[in-house]
Amino acid sequence: MSTQGSNASAGSKGNGGRDGFVPRIQVFEPHRASLPPVRGYMREFWARKRFSLELARFADKAEYLDSNLGKVWLVLNPLLLAFVYFLLVTVLRGGSDKASGFTTLAHILIGLFTFYFAQNVISDGAQSITSGGRLILNQAFPRTLLPLSSAIRSFWQYIPTIPVYIVVVVLGKLFIPKADIHIFSWALLWIPYVTVCLALTAFGMALVFATMNVYFRDTSKLLSYTTRIWLYGSPVLWLPEMLHGWHRAILYINPLGPALSATAEIWIRGHAPTLAQLIGLLVWAVLAMVLGGYFFISRERDFAVRI
Amino acid sequence: MLIDMPDDLAVRIEDLSITYKINVDTKKTLKNAVMRASKGEKVRMRTVEAVKHMNLEIPHGSVLGIVGANGAGKSTLMRSIAGILPPTEGRITVNGKISTLLALGVGFNPALSGRDNIILGGLASGLTKDEIAAKTDEIARFADLPDGFIDMPVRTYSSGMYGRVAFAVAVAMTPDILLLDEALSAGDAAFKEKSFLRMRELVQEARTIVIVSHALQTVKDLCTHAIWMHKGQILAKGDAGEITEKYLEFLNVGTLPSNLEDF
Repeated sequence: MSTQGSNASAGSKGNGGRDGFVPRIQVFEPHRASLPPVRGYMREFWARKRFSLELARFADKAEYLDSNLGKVWLVLNPLLLAFVYFLLVTVLRGGSDKASGFTTLAHILIGLFTFYFAQNVISDGAQSITSGGRLILNQAFPRTLLPLSSAIRSFWQYIPTIPVYIVVVVLGKLFIPKADIHIFSWALLWIPYVTVCLALTAFGMALVFATMNVYFRDTSKLLSYTTRIWLYGSPVLWLPEMLHGWHRAILYINPLGPALSATAEIWIRGHAPTLAQLIGLLVWAVLAMVLGGYFFISRERDFAVRI
Repeated sequence: MLIDMPDDLAVRIEDLSITYKINVDTKKTLKNAVMRASKGEKVRMRTVEAVKHMNLEIPHGSVLGIVGANGAGKSTLMRSIAGILPPTEGRITVNGKISTLLALGVGFNPALSGRDNIILGGLASGLTKDEIAAKTDEIARFADLPDGFIDMPVRTYSSGMYGRVAFAVAVAMTPDILLLDEALSAGDAAFKEKSFLRMRELVQEARTIVIVSHALQTVKDLCTHAIWMHKGQILAKGDAGEITEKYLEFLNVGTLPSNLEDF
């Protein structure tokens, strides 16, 4: 990774803001690819979090301004994809009885929805810096707000897919009562924990790829292939139980593995996630945030030069 | 860290150098990097010294004009004062809230209305939504937008309207330090008059303005001081009228004045 030119970075040292958070005196000095004062950075980040939210809202607004069907596609797209994968998987397996076929469909559905949430956070976030050109050239603000905005948007897109899943399963169970799916259980209480950990993991990775994309503009292109392979390596089109012995390590080496296994555990079997899954989720979230945060923030002062 | 900064100074620049490296050969892609690495080639980089060992103090309540040819480092200097570009060497100390109007850049998204764009710009610069909402109508009025245009997509604006909104936003943020990069060329004569008035008001409130402009008359009319930048260095500084005269002479003659030839 080339870091030439990143030998400078600026820090702002607040002397107590007149407006509460805008530091009165700011000092900009060089330092080599290192972090700006973290507390000051976090303060500015927190003060402007609203910007990320509004940027996400407006980006949504701009995108669907001209199309009435726009929002419907958000649900339709993963639904159709799930159907395609369902066909593929059942054909490959040579058909099976209705009940287990429907369970497979439900598994693919919730797995895909969850995977796409993470994928959108990562791939939209990866492009947020390079596409933020003018904003980055003309205004100084914590750059992490841009991938955060992409993450917020992806979350909004994820939300409506959950009721879609519930409707599909409830309808399906009406016709195929034997299907072994338990969607309503106490295990649902684990959803916030799983979602937060997954979001943090994806956001941390988005920070890494967003930074890489500034230095190598084809990163985001490469990412679309990577995520496709990633999908096949994740327990979405196959069940975590299919792996035995040391092969199960695949479930944890994959940053999205614990989240996807836990999601299936909750939404299909109605069980709480296993301890290993809970720990895996937390470990990946912390790891991604610390590494991604360091990688991004230590280089973000360099972005304006390279945009 | 204790910051030693006299109260009457808005900006202090000490021994500032800004260099960046430009990749001359190929597009910055992973593919090219791998290809080059496999052939054992090195990337040819060109170092651009945009600002070289510059010292400058800008007191509160002054209007500083910056003149100079294209590529003199004016915009780089402005961006570094705004905290967007980091110094390579030296230090910049800024005392006060900065509002930037660099290269007419408030437009985030042409599909969004002027109001939405103003809200986004304000939020990015650290204002609250209420503060901005309170100012939006004032901005629309100042920018002479025809009725209802503030809620129309920015892509429907004429370039004059666009520029006027940009300027109106920058001054409405009641900055302590206002950075204007070629921002005054947008409006017609009437708007120019109005924007001059507004800037004089700002200065009377002891706010500071830094203007980069190729319109020398503007610099002469508005600025108290001026600097002439040439290849990243300050060639001359002093009274605005005097500096613009010198610069104009240089433009007409095409050679640097004899006493400045060392640069």
